[in-house]
Amino acid sequence: MTDNSLTHDISAARNGPARRYTTWIPTVVNSALYRSTLGVLVASPRSRFILLASVPLIWMIMLHVGPIYQMAKISFLSSYPIQQGRDVSYTLANYALYFTPLIRSFIYAAGATFVTLIIVYPVAYYVAKVVRPQKRSKALLLLLVPFWAGELIRTFSIIMLLANRGAVNYLLREIGWIDRPIPVLYTWFSLGFGLVYLVSLYMLLPLYSAIDKIPNHLLDAASDLGAGPWTRFRRIVLPLSRDGVVSGCSLVFLTCIGVFATPMLLGGPTTVLFPETISGFFHGASDKWPVGAAFSIIMLVTALTTAGIFMRIVGGKATRLM
Amino acid sequence: MRALFSDPSRTALNMAYWGFVLYLLVPLTLMMAMSFKDANFVAFPISDWTLDWYAKVMQDRQFLEACIYSIFIAVATTFAATVIGVWIAMLIASTGGRWSALLFALACLPAVVPGMISAISLRIFISTVNMPTGTTAIILGHTVHAVPFVVVMALTRLRSMPPNLVDAARDLGADSIVAFFRVTLPYLGPAILGGMIFCVLLSIDDFVRTFFLGGYRPTLPMLIFAKVQGGMSPEINAMATLVLVVTAAVGLYAEYFTRRTRSR
Repeated sequence: MTDNSLTHDISAARNGPARRYTTWIPTVVNSALYRSTLGVLVASPRSRFILLASVPLIWMIMLHVGPIYQMAKISFLSSYPIQQGRDVSYTLANYALYFTPLIRSFIYAAGATFVTLIIVYPVAYYVAKVVRPQKRSKALLLLLVPFWAGELIRTFSIIMLLANRGAVNYLLREIGWIDRPIPVLYTWFSLGFGLVYLVSLYMLLPLYSAIDKIPNHLLDAASDLGAGPWTRFRRIVLPLSRDGVVSGCSLVFLTCIGVFATPMLLGGPTTVLFPETISGFFHGASDKWPVGAAFSIIMLVTALTTAGIFMRIVGGKATRLM
Repeated sequence: MRALFSDPSRTALNMAYWGFVLYLLVPLTLMMAMSFKDANFVAFPISDWTLDWYAKVMQDRQFLEACIYSIFIAVATTFAATVIGVWIAMLIASTGGRWSALLFALACLPAVVPGMISAISLRIFISTVNMPTGTTAIILGHTVHAVPFVVVMALTRLRSMPPNLVDAARDLGADSIVAFFRVTLPYLGPAILGGMIFCVLLSIDDFVRTFFLGGYRPTLPMLIFAKVQGGMSPEINAMATLVLVVTAAVGLYAEYFTRRTRSR
């Protein structure tokens, strides 16, 4: 090894340093062939850009996007590989199998979060700003009592309310508005109703503590300057309670994504949510565990990403979940 | 004090609050009322009233066993979660800056992960370490879930603790462990008790972790779930009412207790 490097050094010394810097580049650039082809292209800015973009674009479209496109295309096919003489038909069935529950989970969670926010915000505002301070803890306590009943008991009590022979249907029949019970249980409505019922506390507490922190004199000043109730709400209360909205919504969203027993008891075949789908992989033989684990990871990552994006957009950089 | 609100908006807020209270309380009230119904099926209206269902529930061996099993798991969970949670809180309080934020995020992770995912990941975990499903696995799962709440409560109290208390104890010759048990732990007392009651309620409520980690012995939520799926009967209402009354009493006591210590 030392011998080799030694001979190399000696030969380099013999040829002298000047030889190194004479290259073939000028010869090529000055040749007629180069001038008539690449030289022309490089001369104008537009063709120079085309030259610059050509290979990278082709590469990326072919090899970065292409495989994913192929996979996506096959995922829509009703059968693969494509057989001779049969028409290629596209279907969503492959997605419906697992992704309908996933998408549905997200829709239900987002919907429940939004509805909870709309319902709970006035209540939190009322307790934090309208109720006199001495009575405040009692007003809050009245709202906390139901949450010491567990998830299952609360779900069960929703069944009492909404079943065909439940209280609401009985009441409507007694009044005479309906002849036969409206079947609301085991539909999207009962599930949504139950979800909101289940999670509203997680919205109430962050909202309450955020609104409670808004100094009263800000509201006084605003009304002195002639702001009506709506302006006061839009310009002062809502911006200043942003932290509460963000953490409440994130908590409710993540809880709704993970509920398991409630959709099984309140939902029907058209409202199967993703947790139930996943749990199917874990019962019986254990060879489907990897699939279930993969779907759990998909669900976890998408849920956390959604909550994170929401927090970043609504809350700005400074907000934290806790 | 000047009226901040014109009357219409005040009335609207008032109605929103009481409407929400009704929304929260009516289903539970109906559920409780149904447990006194003198008939074999669950349906409104309730014409005859009886206490028979309670007598039946109190003699139901399955229910009593599930109660004892649930309470046992809750006690074990609470003990484990308190020890580990306070330990983690002490660690976070003693480190500063970026590390403490990172540790805090790590400690709170199980509270943020959706329940279903956490249950499945634990199920996979215990089969990786060859732990059988059953009591130990359930306690482990409930403890993982409860620890973040203890950490948050203990940490809030620790942050309000004057640092010179421990310094004084050290000056008087106590080593760190003695100082912890004689000074820090008594100071943390109320927060720890609040956290413990929270742990009990979390553990008794928990369904999804028990569902994936449990064996054949049902806990209370598992029993109620199985009965609801099996068919409605006022007996379930009586069971649920009993559980509800007891847990609400514990919760109310916890609320009362924390309020008293906070105002002191």
